[in-house]
Amino acid sequence: MGFLDFILGTTKLPQPKSERLFAIATARITLEAKLGLKPAGNAAICIKPLESSTYERTRAEVEDLLKLGSRETGTAYRLESDSYGYLWVVLTDQDFEDLVSGIHMVSRSLTDSGLGQQLLCAVFPFSNNSKVYWIFSFKLGAYYPFVPASEKPGRERDSALELRLRSVMSEELPIEKNVERWYPIWEMPL
Amino acid sequence: MVRWSADRGLQARMLLTMFLLAAVYLIFINVIMAMGVGIQGVVLIMGLFLFIQYFYSDKIALASVGARIVSESEAPELHELVGRLCAIAGLPKPRIAIVRTDIPNAFATGRSQSSSVVAVTTGLLRRLDKSELEAVLAHELSHIKNRDVAVMTIASFLSTVASVIVQNIFFLGDRRDRESGNLFAVWLVSLIVWIVSFILIRTLSRYREFSADRGSAIITGRPSALVSALMKISGTMARIPREDLRKVEGMNAFFIIPTGAIANLLSTHPPIEARIAALERLEREIL
Repeated sequence: MGFLDFILGTTKLPQPKSERLFAIATARITLEAKLGLKPAGNAAICIKPLESSTYERTRAEVEDLLKLGSRETGTAYRLESDSYGYLWVVLTDQDFEDLVSGIHMVSRSLTDSGLGQQLLCAVFPFSNNSKVYWIFSFKLGAYYPFVPASEKPGRERDSALELRLRSVMSEELPIEKNVERWYPIWEMPL
Repeated sequence: MVRWSADRGLQARMLLTMFLLAAVYLIFINVIMAMGVGIQGVVLIMGLFLFIQYFYSDKIALASVGARIVSESEAPELHELVGRLCAIAGLPKPRIAIVRTDIPNAFATGRSQSSSVVAVTTGLLRRLDKSELEAVLAHELSHIKNRDVAVMTIASFLSTVASVIVQNIFFLGDRRDRESGNLFAVWLVSLIVWIVSFILIRTLSRYREFSADRGSAIITGRPSALVSALMKISGTMARIPREDLRKVEGMNAFFIIPTGAIANLLSTHPPIEARIAALERLEREIL
């Protein structure tokens, strides 16, 4: 945001920063070696839908791409809507790098069609005893950890573990510095 | 695993601070003497205060915050925790005090390892879980182990004397001094001494906090416990949101708020952030 924008109050939504998405592919090794966290075998990208023909056309395009991809790399996919009306593209693949490039491919094709603003986040679940989510915000261009302490009543998160994840991973992953932006996502379809 | 070793950096800094403070005060006393102010009296009173401060600093510190020494039967868990940490750190077990206030805090006082007191507030006990409390106690024990409490006590006493002189200068000296302008010179020198000693003490104080954090991480083996304790105390933990991303996405405003320079300027806890960053580096070393 430029100085004039700041003074005049004009706002532009930031363009997605998806290059940093790939950092998780190498960080995964450290996650497993130091914390025993293994990739859960799936990943997802969450899209805020638009009521427009562009969106419908792009959605069809993305689905075609995924169909093609699944033939090549064996990445399975499914599309799901959640209670907020957001679209989730869930990919399943035991090869973690295929998952990351699959997520990147979807984000690229949406950005190319001018729907970059609609990208909410990508989610990479890991697990050992507890389930750990690394959420990549396309707008922040950064990851942050999300560890639900219990999915049900209190919707508590394990902030201590999240902060520990940050301290262990801060050299390998671009992690959002401002913890006030570490918004959780409850009841994900993965 | 990082082993406990004498913190040479801290020792060197404590020596240097004391040396520089001594030099500053020698100059200070010489200047006052040259001005002909009743120096013998001032030195005598200063000496008496220093003596009291040194030998009663723990009692003064405890009394000033309303801390109460608790026995083993009154706070068995706290005693148990401290006892175990002392065994690891190779320290005699200090006395333990509790302060009745909701502000989360802890401090160590005492002029030697054997006469130390570790005090915690009820607000701290209420907020922290066991491993976080352990980390904070280990931090305080590290202060005792590093023997930096006595140095700070003496250093801040001298600074206090300078500040008292700066504020009460016009009650000192006789009319001749007042008229000759000598008194103004003394005031100016006192002010400079006050400022210089203040800066020296602040610098040392910050460094000894880093040292104690490091000590805590080594005693407990869990830097992350101290990180989360610091975050709880500073309120960072409470700033991690609980509201769903999809809910706030509708507002969209939070992505546009300018961060960086302005936010840093307004943020109230740069030292905590720096301490956390240091602990995070340590965490990666230990792992």
